[in-house]
Amino acid sequence: MASGTLVSWPGITWGGRGQTTAGHFQGVPVLIVGHHILYGKVVRLEKPFAVLTKASAGEEPTGNYSVTALIKRKLLFKTRPKPIITNVAKKA
Amino acid sequence: MPQAPPTSRVLRRGSFWRAFRKARPASAFSQLLSRLGFRKAKRLNMRTREEVEATLQVAKVNPAELLPVVQCLSFGSEAEAAECRLLQLEPELCAELEAGRSLMIRGDREEHAVLCSKDKTYDMKIADTSNTLLFIPGCETPEQLGADKPTSNIVHLQIAGVSKNFWELRRCRPKLKKLKKLLMENPYEGPDTEQEQTSANKKYTTEDLLDQVQASEEEIMHQLETLKACQIEGYWRILDFDYEMKLLNHVTQLIYTESWSFNKVPLSVCLQELGPLEPENMIEHILMSYGRKYIDEGDTYFEMNEEKICRAIAQMLLNNAVKFSLSEFQEGLALADHSSKPETISLLNIEDLPEDNQERFNNLFKIREKWTEADIVPYIQDLCSEKQTTGALLTKYARSSMQNGIKVYNSRRPIS
Repeated sequence: MASGTLVSWPGITWGGRGQTTAGHFQGVPVLIVGHHILYGKVVRLEKPFAVLTKASAGEEPTGNYSVTALIKRKLLFKTRPKPIITNVAKKA
Repeated sequence: MPQAPPTSRVLRRGSFWRAFRKARPASAFSQLLSRLGFRKAKRLNMRTREEVEATLQVAKVNPAELLPVVQCLSFGSEAEAAECRLLQLEPELCAELEAGRSLMIRGDREEHAVLCSKDKTYDMKIADTSNTLLFIPGCETPEQLGADKPTSNIVHLQIAGVSKNFWELRRCRPKLKKLKKLLMENPYEGPDTEQEQTSANKKYTTEDLLDQVQASEEEIMHQLETLKACQIEGYWRILDFDYEMKLLNHVTQLIYTESWSFNKVPLSVCLQELGPLEPENMIEHILMSYGRKYIDEGDTYFEMNEEKICRAIAQMLLNNAVKFSLSEFQEGLALADHSSKPETISLLNIEDLPEDNQERFNNLFKIREKWTEADIVPYIQDLCSEKQTTGALLTKYARSSMQNGIKVYNSRRPIS
């Protein structure tokens, strides 16, 4: 099974077009989305999640799900996103 | 933290800022996205090291204070995201899956779904999250990144799925009432009856029961044992009560005539003496149901359970709706009414009561308006779980009052 992380994200709905960057700042995960920056934390999940995808043999639905991954950690970003202000070019 | 007004921003032109173009007169949604600062990228661009550093600089984050690895996230194909479901697991279920075992979801169209491991049952509910969840294979946390990647590194990751809800599990009692109902459709009355000759009647194998009963396999097997069901020709059958009593009678009669001790009933002699009357597998089954098997010097014996036998005989007597004046009653099986003269006992079998808590209490209060704690506890014992004791159930579903110095419980609402 693959390993990975869940990123928990305040509810901006996505059009799927933004670009995001994640890094870690003194152990604190940092997320940059377009013009916003968010600080978060790593949370170990006491109740891990299983990611289920429907297993269908060809066209027929079998009613079986296969567990494609187990998620045990998440990066939680629950603070309000701060806008990134760009610098105005200073006059010499 | 001061919040900058989102309007009037002068952007520095650079190779990495695609010039902030005016939003095309498209849908309100894409205008909203633009206002939030999302660019409508013409094509999906993977950021380069320079772009990342520039972004960090603008964001006033010192790259030196970040771990050298930066992970860039982008969405994968939409199709994959729609198919995934998240299931929240108890740690022991997680261990089961990791060990390679499967979990079963069971339920009819009219029933609420339950999830079963090999020995436990869980109610399933959908829980919504206020935060959106994104799952990203390969995304790493600070501990995982550690110190072993000294060089700066950009990693591009795909978001495999998005979800705003997940399936939540809550441990519950197995729903076993259906098991008895299915088996009672066709109780076994003996091998030579007309009923057995016609094979049109419904019979269930282990697989059939697993399909239809919302409980784990172990819980079902345990209940079959409690119900004294037996497998006949591959099908699970419950014995018709009269037939069961007939078999039990044969055994007890034989014990008396042979003057055996109740603790040492030999299997071989039973089969020999009773064989002409009943099938051997049924004789052995009745001995197993009412006794404990053991081997002594190579021979099989049974230690009979006097209490079980007495209960069965009591049930047989009470089934005939005869009222006895007795000073004792069996817990969970019969109800003594001390107020009527003379004191009577009538049959109230816990197995016939509903499984659902509220219905159970409604039923009990319909039978009798006020109950003492000692009387009612045997009839609610099986509703208890880790989180609820009988006391908690009584507090929730009944109201207490004092009558003649004794605490009694009655219904919270009027029973029609």
